Amino acid sequence: MTFKAWIKTITFYEILIGMKATMSHMLHYRPVTEQYPHEKRTLPDNYRGMLALLRYDDGTEKCVGCDLCEAACPSRVIRVISAEVPGEPTKRYSKEYYMDMTRCLFCGLCVDACPVDALGMTREFEWSVYDKRQLHLNKEQLLAIGDRSFPVREKQLELQHPNVAFFNVAFKHLPQKPG
Amino acid sequence: MTELSLRLAVTFAQILAEMSIVMITVATLTYFERKVLGWMQDRMGPMEVGPYGLLQPVADGIKLFFKEDIVPAGANKAMFALAPMLTMVVAMIGFAVIPFGPNITLDIYGITIKPFVVADINIGVLYILAIASIGAYGIILGGWASNSKYSLLGGLRAAAQVISYELNVGLALVGVLMLAGTLSLVQITEAQSGGFWHWFIWGGRPDGFFPIHTQIFAFVVFIISAVAETNRIPFDLPEAESELVAGFFTEYSGMRFAFFVSAEYANMTLVSCVASALFLGGWNAPYPGTIFEYIGLEQLAWVEHIVWFAAKVYFFLFLFIWIRATLPRLRYDQLMRFGWKVMLPIALANIIITSFTLYFFPR
Repeated sequence: MTFKAWIKTITFYEILIGMKATMSHMLHYRPVTEQYPHEKRTLPDNYRGMLALLRYDDGTEKCVGCDLCEAACPSRVIRVISAEVPGEPTKRYSKEYYMDMTRCLFCGLCVDACPVDALGMTREFEWSVYDKRQLHLNKEQLLAIGDRSFPVREKQLELQHPNVAFFNVAFKHLPQKPG
Repeated sequence: MTELSLRLAVTFAQILAEMSIVMITVATLTYFERKVLGWMQDRMGPMEVGPYGLLQPVADGIKLFFKEDIVPAGANKAMFALAPMLTMVVAMIGFAVIPFGPNITLDIYGITIKPFVVADINIGVLYILAIASIGAYGIILGGWASNSKYSLLGGLRAAAQVISYELNVGLALVGVLMLAGTLSLVQITEAQSGGFWHWFIWGGRPDGFFPIHTQIFAFVVFIISAVAETNRIPFDLPEAESELVAGFFTEYSGMRFAFFVSAEYANMTLVSCVASALFLGGWNAPYPGTIFEYIGLEQLAWVEHIVWFAAKVYFFLFLFIWIRATLPRLRYDQLMRFGWKVMLPIALANIIITSFTLYFFPR
């Protein structure tokens, strides 16, 4: 042990350096804490929160009951029971639509998979409940979440084929045509 | 008969006042520690209960009071109940000999009392050492009676650690006792009056400033050993959270847990009081006399003395929290090696050197 190291040992030099660090943190008090229920952090723009079912501006549901979200979901959250629209044999809709949000991992694959953009991810995240069964949502609850989170609705185009949106989604990683 | 009852009444009033002061200090410390620790770690500490979390100790007390009292299966019930009581009582009665204020006497109906010390006994330091050793029994009993491997390991570690570091505490005090020539804490503190250069940390040599009797090495040994003795970080092996859940009080809950925690904080306060009384002049101000005397208010000098004592004690308490915020825990062999191979030789050498300097340069 050199003399310098010995001096440092008997004067607790390293410990004093550490205590200086803690003291400087106390004197320059800038807490990183956010007092959560009182102040909430700003969510990022692409935040993936609670899932919701959307409507067109005339109030009709967007969902066409194609089951693609059910197929895309890795956690088997979604269950769709599809049916014909009464009186319109060419159109289908989801008669029942269930989401078991206890299993959802918020990957957004269902939203990507939807050909008619009927699913959306809201910015809600405060969904703690005392009873787990409250997280098993049915169609009305999902539509209600969509209604309160997306007040601006899309206009329904009469002759739009549903698969147009699907292909747009599927090829959106390709470079877009200029202009 | 009336004199006896009067004496009893006065003593009980003193004990009550002293205990409430200690309990208030303990409650303050639980808040203060969490707050300071939070500030040092860029957090806020308790903020919810009351403004800036000021009512957090009250909320904690109420919560612990109403919590379920669990006795583990296979525990030795009598010992399990005895351990927290022993620890708490021992931590409390150590304060009986601590002089909080100046050594003045009051005459109440013919009997003479000292208002700022409950019992001015002539073996005060010895009494504190003895009481602190009994406190270890509570920890060891609690660890053994819980019928849990973590508690048992914590108790074993506490036993080994307390034996190693009690020795250093006792030996570190010997130099001061030689300088003061007495074991009474009141007289030791009085011997340090008249400015900070009379404090025993510098040796208290009135002629010439060169501190030949300096006890600063004993002081450092005492502080480090006191941290170890009160099971604080970085010597908190008996209650190492990351290794032993909570050490010797793993199985305790409710008020019994509160007793252990209060006893720990009370022990912290006790060693802070002893350190400030023995090394930093206790109630004496760092300048000769008091400001109240200079401006002609001799009756109020005791206020200044008490404020200085409290300032010193709180400095040590802050130091404990500061060390806790800074240092990680020692390994067990490091703890033992440090206690026996570093602290003990320094304390012994301090005794020898102090006795030589005292022989050649008597005070």
